[in-house]
Formats: sequence, C-alpha cells, structure tokens
Amino acid sequence: MLVGVASSAASANDPILEHDVLPLLQKRCMGCHGGLIQKGKLDLRTLPSMLKGGKSGPAVVAGKLDDSELWQQVIDNDMPSEGEPLSADEKQLLRKWIESGLPTWTQRKDKRDNPLLPADKKHEPARVAQAIDQHIDAALKAANVKPAPVADDAEFLRRVYLDLTGRVPTPQQAASFLDDQSPGKRAKLIDTLLASPQFGEQFGRTWREWIAPPELPSDMNSGRQPIEQTRALGKWFAKQFNDNHTWDRIVRDVLTANGELKNNPQLIYFGLVGQNAQVTAEGSARTVASLFMGVQLQCAQCHDDPYRDWAQHEFWALAAFFGGTRGDFKKVEEKPGESQIVIPKSAFRNAGTKVQISFLRGPTPKDKKATWRPRFVDWLTANDNPYFAKAFSNRAWFYFFSRGIVNPIDDFRELNPPSHPGLIALLGNEFAASGHDVKHLIRAICNSKTYQRTSAVTHDLNDQQRAAQTALFGRAPVRVMSPDMLFDSLKLAFGDPKLDLRSIDPKDGNTNGESAAVGDVVLQFQRDFCINEEDTTDFTHGIPQMLTLMNHPRLQAGSKALDEHLKQQKDLTPPQVVEWLYLATLSRRPSDEESAEAVDYVKNASDAIDAYKDVLWMLVNRSEFMLIR
Amino acid sequence: MPKHDHWLSRRDYVRLSAAGVLTGASVPWFESLANAAVKRPRGKSCILLWMDGGPSQQHTFDPKPTGEFKPIKTSVPGVHIAEKFPKLAQCAEHMAIMRSMTTEINNHYDAKYYLHTGFKRVTGFEHPAVGCIASQQVGLPGDDMPSFVTIDAGNDKGNGGRFYRSVPGYLGPRHAPLAVQNPARGLENLNSTGGDTDARLKLLAASEQRFAKQYPVPAVNAKQAAFDRAVKLMRSPRAKAFDLEDEPTELRQQYGEHRFGQSCLLARRLIESGVSFVEVFHRGWDDHEGAAKRIAARAPWMDAAMATLILDLKNRGLLDDTLVVWMGEFGRSPGNGSGHFCRAWSAMWAGGGINTGITVGRTNEGGKNPGGTIEERPITAPDYMATLLTALGIDTHQEFMGPGMRPMPMVDKSAKVVKEVLA
Repeated sequence: MLVGVASSAASANDPILEHDVLPLLQKRCMGCHGGLIQKGKLDLRTLPSMLKGGKSGPAVVAGKLDDSELWQQVIDNDMPSEGEPLSADEKQLLRKWIESGLPTWTQRKDKRDNPLLPADKKHEPARVAQAIDQHIDAALKAANVKPAPVADDAEFLRRVYLDLTGRVPTPQQAASFLDDQSPGKRAKLIDTLLASPQFGEQFGRTWREWIAPPELPSDMNSGRQPIEQTRALGKWFAKQFNDNHTWDRIVRDVLTANGELKNNPQLIYFGLVGQNAQVTAEGSARTVASLFMGVQLQCAQCHDDPYRDWAQHEFWALAAFFGGTRGDFKKVEEKPGESQIVIPKSAFRNAGTKVQISFLRGPTPKDKKATWRPRFVDWLTANDNPYFAKAFSNRAWFYFFSRGIVNPIDDFRELNPPSHPGLIALLGNEFAASGHDVKHLIRAICNSKTYQRTSAVTHDLNDQQRAAQTALFGRAPVRVMSPDMLFDSLKLAFGDPKLDLRSIDPKDGNTNGESAAVGDVVLQFQRDFCINEEDTTDFTHGIPQMLTLMNHPRLQAGSKALDEHLKQQKDLTPPQVVEWLYLATLSRRPSDEESAEAVDYVKNASDAIDAYKDVLWMLVNRSEFMLIR
Repeated sequence: MPKHDHWLSRRDYVRLSAAGVLTGASVPWFESLANAAVKRPRGKSCILLWMDGGPSQQHTFDPKPTGEFKPIKTSVPGVHIAEKFPKLAQCAEHMAIMRSMTTEINNHYDAKYYLHTGFKRVTGFEHPAVGCIASQQVGLPGDDMPSFVTIDAGNDKGNGGRFYRSVPGYLGPRHAPLAVQNPARGLENLNSTGGDTDARLKLLAASEQRFAKQYPVPAVNAKQAAFDRAVKLMRSPRAKAFDLEDEPTELRQQYGEHRFGQSCLLARRLIESGVSFVEVFHRGWDDHEGAAKRIAARAPWMDAAMATLILDLKNRGLLDDTLVVWMGEFGRSPGNGSGHFCRAWSAMWAGGGINTGITVGRTNEGGKNPGGTIEERPITAPDYMATLLTALGIDTHQEFMGPGMRPMPMVDKSAKVVKEVLA
C-alpha cells in the first residue's frame, strides 16, 4: 500500500479505515455487501453503514470484537462465502482495527492538512514551489526516508523540455542551456518554454488523449472514429493554452458552446464521449465528472456504486444538466430542458425512474425549465467549487510525477484520502486564487526542488526504502515518452519532419479507406507506441517497437539533420561530431568515457559517415533516449 | 470469485520452467518442433481465419438442395458442404460445423466487435479481443516469440465496413497483437538493412550497463528486457518461422499461391514455433451483389489453403493442440446471399481436440425460406465465445479488473458453452 507509507510512519501502527480496512473490504466483501448487492441488508462501504449493520446487527462495534458481526463471520471462515478465506494477516488487521476503536484518517491529528499558504491570494511561483517542497520534505522526514538530490543540468534540461514542449531540445538549445552560467537559468528556461507555442501544443495533445485515447479504435462512435475532428480538438486546446486562457474559461468554452463543429472544433468533445456518433447525457456526465471534477461516477450510471459511496441518483442528477443537449459529429445544440431526467432502459437498476437535477453533493436548482449547461459550468468553475481546482491540480501533478496526490486521479472522495492532504489543498487554493491560471500552476510545480530531483538511485536503498522514496515523491520517476513525444524527438534527431515509420508496401493496398489495416503516418505511430496512460512509469513496449527502432529502413538511412550539420560545418573532428550527436538525442554532452568509446569506433571504421550512423543508432536505441529520466 | 492476476501464478511459472519455456534460447525449439508436437504447458493454440464482411453460409458450410451451390458428400456420412470445396469435404472428420449461430447484430463494425469479444460495444471502454485474452491466458510469457500475431491476407474489391483491430483493453498493451502486413514479407523490421548490428550492439552494451546501474528502476529493466528479446528473436533460429522461403516449394503450392494460402502456411509455422494465437484476416466478403460469383472465385484458394492447413497440422502432430476457426461477423441472407444475416449462420472449427466429424445446430431445409430459421440448438455470441475459450483450455469464470476497479467477467453471464463440441 503506497499511501500507507506516509501514515504508518506518521503515528502508531494501528490500521486505518481508509488506508487499510476499506481496500480489504472492497476486494473481498463489497461485491455482496456494497452498493450493488446488499446481502443481509449489509453495506460495508462507509463507517456509518458498518455501524448501522445489517440483519444480524452492527458489522463493527468499537473495541468490542464479540459484538462485531464482521469479525464473528470472518474468524471461523464463514465469510467470505466465495474464494479463499481471509489470511491470518488480513484477520489480524481487522482485529486490530476493531480493538483500537475503529480509527479513521479523518480523526487523525497528524495528517498535515495545513496548506501552508493563505488560500485567498495568488503567490509568487517561487513561493509556491517552496511550499510544495515543504510539504514533500515533511512527509519524507516523518517517514524517515532520505530524498534523492537535485538533478544536474542535463537531466533537468531534457526532462523539462519533454514535459513542457513534448520534444527534446535541439542541439543548439541544449548547448546554450548547458553553457549558461547564470544562477537563475532553470527558472528562466521554464519561463521560456511556457511561452513557446510548443507548450500549448503539448498540453493540447495531452488533453486530446485524455479525452480520446488514439488506441481506442472504435469506442463511442459507431466504429467511425472522427480522427480529423479529434486532432482539431487538440489544436483548439493548444491555442487556448498558448493564449493563456484560464482553465475555467477553457472548460466553459468546451461545455457551453453551441453550433456547428466547423466554427467550434471543441464541440467534438460531446460526440467523442457519446455513443453511436450521438451526444448522450450519460456520456457527457461521466466524462465531465472524471476529467473536470476528479470523481468516478461511471459505475453509478447503471446502479449504486458497489465500492464507493456514489448513488445512482447522484449520477443522473448530474446527467440532467446535459439532458437538453443534442448533437453528433457535426453540430451540438442545447435547448431549454426539464429539470428532471429519466433513467434509460440500458441501466440495470431503476430504469424509468425520474431524477431531479442537482449539483453533485450540492444544491438543487429551483427552475422547472432552463438552459442547463451554463448553470452547471457556473457552479463547476466557481472559486469555492469543491472539485474543479483540485481535480486539475491533481491531474497536473500526475502529468509530471506519474502519480496523483489522490489516486486514481479521478477518485476524489472522503474515503480515498490524498497522500499529501496539505499539498493538494495548497495546489487547489493557489490554482483557484490565480483565476485558474494553468501556466502559473505549472510554473510553480516545475520550479520546485521536488520536480527537479534526480531520477537516479543515488544511494543504497533496499526495495522497501526505494518504494517509499517513490511513493513520497522523494525521487523523480523514470517515465516512458508518450508516442507524440517520441515521434517528435525522432523527427528532430533525424531531421525529418515527415518521418514515416509504418511498415507498409503501397502494393499491399491496405492504407486507404475504412477497411484499411494501417492508419495514417501519425495515427499508426500513436497506436504502435502507445503507453500505459494510467502509469507512465510502466514500460510496455515489446519486440515490435524495439525492432522498429533498431531496423526500420528509414532510421537505418541516417539523419538528415546530421548530413546538414556536416555540410554546414566543414572540418569537424570526430569528437565534435560525437558531441553533436549526443546533444541531438540525449540532450547532453558525452562523458569522457562515452566520447572515447564513440570516437574509437569512428576511427576504426572504414567509412566515417557510416560510423556516425552507427553512433546515432546506438544513441536512439539507448534506454536513456526512450525514457524521460 | 478470483480476480485475475495480470501475470503468471507461481504454479504456472513452475510448470513453464519445467517445460523449458522460460529459459528461452537454451532450448533449441524450432529444430525440435519440426518432428514433435508442441506440448504447450497451458492451454491450446488457435488459428482464427476471419472472413471479414460476412461470408455466406449457404455458399460454404450450410448449403441447401435448392441453393445456388449444391451440397456434396464429405468424408463423414451425412455431413454435406457446398460443392465448391471438395478438398475440405475430405477433411470433414476433423471438422465441427456450427450451423446455428444467431448473434443479433447486422451491422459490420458492431458485429465484428461482438464476435471478437463476446460483448456488445459499450461506451467508456473496450473489451479485450479473443486473441488478446488467449495471449494473456495461454501465451508463453518471456518467450522469444510474440503470443498473438495477426496476418493480413489481403482484400477483395468490395467493402465490409471498418476494419476491426484487436485491442487488449484492460489486459494491457503487452497483449496487443503483432501485425504481419504481408505474409510474403514476414515480420517487419526483423532484419537490419544497413550497418553491422553486432558492432552496434557492442557499442551500445557498455552504456546500457552503466545506465542500468545508475537507474535500477522497473522502466529501465523492462526496456532492456524487451530490447534483449528483440535481439534474441533477430538471431534466433525461431525467427525463421516468419520466413516462408524455408518451406518446400511443393507444400507452398499446396497451400496455394494466393495470399490467403501463404497466410495459413505462415500461421502454421508460427503456431509451431510457440505463438499462441494467430488471426488471419481476409477482407471483402460483403457480397451485396450476390455471393455465388464471388465465392466461386474465392473457393479454390480457400479450399486448398484450409484443407492443406488441417492436414499439415495433423501430419505434424499439432492438430489436437491447435484449434482452427473459420468465421466472419455474420452470415448472409438465405438464397443469393446479398444481404447481411445474423439470425442463422455458420462457423467452422477444426482440430483442437474437440469433437469433430459433427455438425451442431440446424437451419430449416424446406418452407418458403430455407435456411432462414434455426431449428435446433441456437448459439449466441456469448455462448460461442465461452465455448471457444473453453476449448482453448481457459477457465471462463475468471474476472478481469476493468477500469475504475470494475470487475469484468471474461465472458457474458448469459453464456452457456456448446457442450456438443467440447470433447
């Protein structure tokens, strides 16, 4: 349990409801005693419902094992009724939790939920960065985990270029940063990259993928994927980010626009998350909850959530805001609609029931009829909305660290507490106080020591210590480049903006039309090199990807950028060319050892140009190239 | 119910190690396989021959006396197939013909999804395709060879709706198929077209070692392992499985010069070398202008390729461990086959250690519309998927963990296996 690292070190070893007990109950008990099925009228999803108990009495009574039905059922293996009995450790955990008086996270005094900075105003990014580090360092210290040191310039440079612009720097950009001796050069670089058009492009395509992952070939759209419209959505987001539109404005422009897609490319959002190329209230509600509110309501679409405390009527009360919106891949329109929605036949439970419109765990609008989407967005983007600012902040954190402060990133709820409560409060406050200024939040995160730590393992740590260091953000993660990052980085290294790495022969006739087995240049690369979006530290590429990078004829043919460089700069010595190749791929200069290896290789080769191609091959096939360290 | 683990159980590891699978290169696999049947440590392998667009059952495996193609006798008394398939007719003792498929969906893409996954398409996530499930369940982890390969056997002029790509969904990208675009070219990028790979690898090795020492993290280990496997495959004699040039000319000709025949041959070579699931797809069976003329043109290569495949697997002792499946996303309207028809259609299975020499289910022979209704033993898409996975030795009662901690059954709860087929 990753989150457990923080708590167990923070105080006594008593099990905690949220960290220790609920995950066990969820895995073994809630299938029959949860939101969907309640055998014996027992619901184990929350502490109050456990205390209330079922037919045979309270499931748990603080400090009293004999009166706790849950304990009585598991001790003699009467429950779970399916699968293996609970292990001795699992039973011990339940026993301790009951004996120690049912402790919960919410009661804990030491949970460090103070954001450290006042909520009502925007602070200088450097001040916010400092507060971020204070949060992270305090948790590390409490757990007695030593963090990794700050990364050297080369490691920082490549990471921040990939994160903020989605590609490696050019050799010139890399050299100029590495040679810069001025003290504030990291902050300056962050500013420069945030101001570059590539920043918007990278965050635009990131949001495009969060909304519509390219590896899903079929879903939600009747088998015809609106690829061009999806790309236009990414470009639209790019422009919003580059124009520094605030997040509330961007979300408002997505969620409240009406009309034809040709004038409002962002409207494809509704079609992408709908079904059979039609806009649906449930698709809109489900994704708005996940993407913009950080809550998972998808289970509650058809029935009460078996594991989380979300009721089906809460989902449909939210869906009602989208009930008057109709459209497809060409047009989206909202007409004033009723304040009620009927649960459709497709739901397992309660089909046909009318549900009154309501904000999620919030007020109920009074009107009988209205244009509901703008009302919803007014509530969602208000500074005191409990979901909006934190959801974005957590997603932004996840983008850089591959793990949210709340995990999964769209599972904000009381019983799934954050690993760093004060930190998520700080980021949410700061984001709201800045008027949802995206660049402000990102600038603060990137200027923190936490972001700038090395991802190398710098001292002897056993597996447990290393896991703790990772879980507590004490070391930067090593991540896998997104397909877009890898493709753009390859294009730069090979000096070929039209790089085509598909494996097709035009004679095969399989590149055109809807029955084509191979996608266009970009789509096919995105499919071939797709990554695990839920965990970017998970390297999932296999033999086909490795063979492409090793043997694809286009990559074997060498780099146009290198050819150009050699043509422009005559009389370059082998060490100079090797250095240029390192800068063009790994964004750093070679170590003496690396330089000697490559230079020897070139000198011993019969043809220097071919030898440089070999060095380039070696660099592109290095782990260091494919990963963000 | 046990939740499915994404990796092997310890027990599987022990069994696989005992079978020499996990030790990779030390086992001279390929050479030994030419003479001996593969003893797969878990489950069976499968070759899925997918006729994209919806092949007509009355012009193939459920002919009617009044139909455009006449029924002919087969090697099994009482079992008849269409006259255009004389070679397959001689293999009927290895075949189980299912004539009572009834699958609800008449539009191409949704039907392809339904028959590849056993579930109707929903919003929000993608169900894993049968090949991906097989990859996870019966694939040989850590093996040189990929566990799931698709082969593009070409495209007739004619449509068949959007192409369905097998996706692993919540099983993870590891179970995505490796795609062979053209059987004649084999595995793309298997060989270097320039440069001295050995010299390059030597140059790479030292720096990779240094990097792994500095960054001993899972992503680096996984990258280096994948890279090593790719190099191992390039150098492995087993990679020759992708190269049809190794086959004797005579056998290549028996499979047929058509790309479908060569795809079937490649499928056999891959199964023989340890691949668990091969899907050969041929597109263009959406015969709206009538099936007779088009299938008459396709029948010779389909007949030769499939009959040769079945007998070749048999001769090599692989047939009992390899299920061959022929199907599309639905059948075609009784009579001339010009329309889509999901109510009553046929699929053909062969080998796999199932009950063969049989037909399962029956459509009506007489009446106004022969073949329009099922008279016996309807098989739904979930039934079909459960039976297929069970035939491969997979426990279909397992659950996967879907998005949002949602337990996903491997097959739809309504599924009942077709017991008649299972031995």
